[in-house]
Amino acid sequence: MIVGQQKPLTEIKAEVAPFSKLLILGCGTCVKTCFAGGEDEVATLASSLRLAFKKDGGQITIEELTVERQCEDEFIKEAAAAIARNDAVLSLACGAGVQMVANRYAKSPVLPGVNTTFIGILEKQGLFTEKCLGCGDCVLDVFAGICPVSRCSKKLMNGPCGGSHGGKCEVNPDTDCAWQLIIDRSKDFGQLGRLSTYVPPKDWRTSNAGGPRKLVREDHII
Amino acid sequence: MNQLINDAVMREQPPNITGKVLKETLDDGMPFDNSMKEVVETDNKAGFKPKITVFHCFNALSSTAGADSNEYDISAVRMPCSSMTREVFLLRAFEAGADAVVVMVCPEGDCRYMEGNIRAGKRVARVKKILDEIGLDGKRLNIYPVPEKDPNTIDRIIKQTVSDLAGLGPNPAS
Repeated sequence: MIVGQQKPLTEIKAEVAPFSKLLILGCGTCVKTCFAGGEDEVATLASSLRLAFKKDGGQITIEELTVERQCEDEFIKEAAAAIARNDAVLSLACGAGVQMVANRYAKSPVLPGVNTTFIGILEKQGLFTEKCLGCGDCVLDVFAGICPVSRCSKKLMNGPCGGSHGGKCEVNPDTDCAWQLIIDRSKDFGQLGRLSTYVPPKDWRTSNAGGPRKLVREDHII
Repeated sequence: MNQLINDAVMREQPPNITGKVLKETLDDGMPFDNSMKEVVETDNKAGFKPKITVFHCFNALSSTAGADSNEYDISAVRMPCSSMTREVFLLRAFEAGADAVVVMVCPEGDCRYMEGNIRAGKRVARVKKILDEIGLDGKRLNIYPVPEKDPNTIDRIIKQTVSDLAGLGPNPAS
């Protein structure tokens, strides 16, 4: 899922200050799971902003709405009436959701309330870790299901480097050495030998280095 | 576990505060500041009657009836477990005009649902940070473990809260 973190309240307050009627629009998918932009976070943020403005003698009217997903047009259509009633939208979706709303509702300012952080997993309740960079050319088959692109601090395709100590990375001792994990896991299913094959430098043309990417599925286009 | 609750503020026996003593006692044993005394007296003259919202697990405390007084207003929210304490409920209590919010939970190891008091402690700690960020002062929100069915605890906690409010004054966002 996409993992995000709500922006600091002071930053959000400055963003929305020019508007007197605000819609806080939550997203019920990824950012809900990581406690950044679901229904609960929308309600908590709305209450915090009302208190913050009232404390300073200002006034703001806040409407709250959470749609299933902000990255799909079908779902953000539901927000049309609420968006029309307000001066601006504070979206608690990832960057994709914010832009989707902005694209559909061209006359409404759409502001981000969340910093989109990474593609990751829920490792345990309250702990999210990065697992994928979206490089566009998955190599997990070569590396025993552990991604050196997103999990090795140096993105080494032929590791490990000399900085692995006790299974931890020299860049950050809190980080597991991805190459230690790759070797351990390869041993577990008897494929350590595969790692002796040289892996050529990664071709980054499939990543976002060349601008925004597009995926066309002709079989689904009518 | 209690450390988590304590992190959000748990005090020892709150002082017994009534009438004149209220004006001479500040929390944490800090010496009374004359300018603060002025504030307290001004507030009293202006008729500042603190509004306190109490969220309590009914296993820890069956009711707040024992703490009724003419000196302050109490609104109570009974919960079957303190795990039902949610950030937005605490904030909405301040929106509704509370000068202070108190959360009363079962002590360490006594939660019937294992970790309700830990969850409540973490949520209170988070809302205290939000209140600080807003400028309302996180000291307006506190969490206390309450020994089961102890009728004196609520009285002590409310008096401590009233004492704290003498320094903090009314909720500036009410």
